[in-house]
Amino acid sequence: MTNSLSIYLIEFGHVAAYLALVVALVQGLAPIVAHIAHRPAWARVSINASVVLFVLTTIGFAALMHAFVTDNFSVKYVASNSNSLLPLMYKITGMWGGHEGSLYLWVWVLTLFTVVVGIHGRTRYPERLPVILAVQGWLSVGFFGLILFLSNPFERLFPIPMDGRDLNPLLQDPGMAFHPPTLYFGYVGFSVPFAFAMAALITRWKSELWIGLVRRWALIAWGFLTTGIVMGGWWAYYELGWGGYWAWDPVENASFMPWLMGTALIHSITVQERRRMLHTWNIFLVITTFSLSLLGTFLVRSGVLSSVHAFAVDPGRGFYILAFMVTVLAISFGIFLARGRYQEAEEAVTTPLSRESMFIWNNVLFSVGAASVLLGTLYPLALEALTGAKITVGAPYFNKVMVPVFLIIMLLMAIAPLVPWRKANPDRLLSRLLIPVTLGVTGVVLMLIVVRPLQWTAVVGVGLVAFVLGTLLTDLLRAVRQRQAQHPGLGLALGTLRTVLGNRRHYGGMLVHFGIAVIAIGMLGSGLFRLEKSVVMTPGEVVEIGGERLRFDGIVQAQGPNYTATQGRLTLLDSGRVLSPEQRHYPVQQMPTTEAAIDSTLARDVYVVMNEPSGTEAQRRWAIHVYFNPLVQLIWLGGVFVLGGLGMTLSFRVRKRAAAEAGAALPANR
Amino acid sequence: MRRMIFTVLLLLLSTPLHARTTETDAQVSPPPVTGSAPVVVTEDPLQRRMLEIAGDLRCTVCQNQPVAESNSDLAKDMRALIREQLEAGRSRQEIMDYFVERYGDYVLLKPPYDRSGTLLWAGPPALLLLLAGLAVYFIRRHTHQPTPTPAPQLTPEDQARIRAARKQD
Repeated sequence: MTNSLSIYLIEFGHVAAYLALVVALVQGLAPIVAHIAHRPAWARVSINASVVLFVLTTIGFAALMHAFVTDNFSVKYVASNSNSLLPLMYKITGMWGGHEGSLYLWVWVLTLFTVVVGIHGRTRYPERLPVILAVQGWLSVGFFGLILFLSNPFERLFPIPMDGRDLNPLLQDPGMAFHPPTLYFGYVGFSVPFAFAMAALITRWKSELWIGLVRRWALIAWGFLTTGIVMGGWWAYYELGWGGYWAWDPVENASFMPWLMGTALIHSITVQERRRMLHTWNIFLVITTFSLSLLGTFLVRSGVLSSVHAFAVDPGRGFYILAFMVTVLAISFGIFLARGRYQEAEEAVTTPLSRESMFIWNNVLFSVGAASVLLGTLYPLALEALTGAKITVGAPYFNKVMVPVFLIIMLLMAIAPLVPWRKANPDRLLSRLLIPVTLGVTGVVLMLIVVRPLQWTAVVGVGLVAFVLGTLLTDLLRAVRQRQAQHPGLGLALGTLRTVLGNRRHYGGMLVHFGIAVIAIGMLGSGLFRLEKSVVMTPGEVVEIGGERLRFDGIVQAQGPNYTATQGRLTLLDSGRVLSPEQRHYPVQQMPTTEAAIDSTLARDVYVVMNEPSGTEAQRRWAIHVYFNPLVQLIWLGGVFVLGGLGMTLSFRVRKRAAAEAGAALPANR
Repeated sequence: MRRMIFTVLLLLLSTPLHARTTETDAQVSPPPVTGSAPVVVTEDPLQRRMLEIAGDLRCTVCQNQPVAESNSDLAKDMRALIREQLEAGRSRQEIMDYFVERYGDYVLLKPPYDRSGTLLWAGPPALLLLLAGLAVYFIRRHTHQPTPTPAPQLTPEDQARIRAARKQD
């Protein structure tokens, strides 16, 4: 039970959080005061403040964690999201199982990023560092204000309840330990490019000097966000029990919008590095990406999604969140409009058929994608607020709108890597595209012959994936041949290895593309060729699906640490493997959940959910839902390739100063 | 950090997902399967039609879940209702209309193509056209721009000065 140490510790953490708010204010104010008072040295206070801020926020974090681990139910947040019977791992992850703790995790990650930027920038960009940190300081102020005055996780309860109300059973899963923190590292990661862009606008920092730095930060944030989204899909797949991984739920859309804009950003930055173009547009993208991260956090956290009315139930919190969003948007876009063109653009000449044009089309498509998701997510809210009419914008809408966008993106992804910078020779480009197009057409023809009934998405999708893979292969082989021509006698394997390792930035990016193509195969397979059967079975009966035969052998009762379970036993007759779907009952929350059982191979998943029984005691019949999901494992595998490619890209550092000075003038390395 | 996440992800991918429960007592032991051919169950076609309709309807008390996938009591009732109506011989459209009459457009996962959804459906294509137009404008403007004048040629005096400076080194 609660001991006195635990009581003192939580108050200690609470005080630390208040102090953190004060320190965040200092961090935000220091460069402003220094500027007004003409004491440039004062600005550096914000650097020290960022370290103190991180330490104080961590103390608060640790105190809350301690309260969770020691079952200190005098803390209201712990009492609402934990229980003495909860396994230790979920007591720890329960920390971000609710609104207040999630926000605290957010701000903790923010202060962590701030400190890392501080360490990174001390020698690399010391003059601008205080301003960058000040921007992040103000963001911390905004979040700490919300946390301390409207969503306080340190709030106490009296009388102290005997036990907690338990963590939502759906969140009692190992995925909880990784998914939310990774996602938050992604969201918050985009605050670093945002702070750089703001600092650059305010101090008129020449963009060639910071865009390379921002690229790395953006790639890191993008990597976390991608991991978070893929892991979230995987978690939803095995936990939610409907055989799918992505439902276009507003909460999912909230993370997908910044991902789409972030993807546009990491491509667009390359154009600026190479050709000194799009400098203003990139600042716009940075601000938009971070704004969507903020919006995502708030959409999920303000309760506005379930209904406009839920937002009104707690007007204080909702109003604060709205005001904070509006303030951040107004200030950042205000500064952008006033200063966006602070740097004389050295816009180089471009041609319609060039790599830079391809990147512009990439930006068009990703922006349309992000805007469409935003429209679909906010439309029902806006309509209800304006007219009172309630409609639902569900998965069918998003699939209808987004699938074409994705397909066009795939087409671009298949062509763009083979288009040279500046000006393409159409004949030469066509000859380069010969193999990829042939592969693509082969894919289309195969699908037309093999697949019945005909699905145009499958035909086009498979053709485009083959096209993309052909392009990746052509791109690599061309470079290898060139290398072999320069070094006669070089073998194919060694030549490939040297080519790839010699330009890790480029081939890392291509590996990411490969991962995306693999994910696309997984989505096409599982999205379009999924089979499902909903049957009622008695023990001994067999159900057939997708060539698999599954025998129901009966049920057993099982006991978990804080729940009881009814486990079904099904045997895959071909392989002899046993599947055990469960129906769980968590007594504290009085909530039944179903746990799917999955048998995975690279080619397909057999996914079984067991529902409620019917019939008499003697002749029990069980409702069993079986899914046959082809190729779904490729989605997670593709995610691993994407991360590997990203790591490879990031491992490549432009050779320090010489390269930086040559900057964008460097010729294309081919 | 990245490598760590990578490893964790790999570990996760290779972990069995259902290793957390401990069996206590087997209330219903698996029946002995005799040599005779097992009974193969088939799906009730009515059940499939019911689920197809339920997949396009929103469970109105859930957060963005179709009736087909929700475990809530309301969703169960709605599924039973759809089945009843199918048994009574009603068509898919009639059943959908019935629910729209009761719950409004809110119950449809795919918003209708009507006045309330104009902006919703027209928005994305309109935006694509707009941004594509802007992109074409941008690319054209920069294509027609004359190439920047090359740096002026070095005069003979400049070259002499460079030679002189080189000799001094």
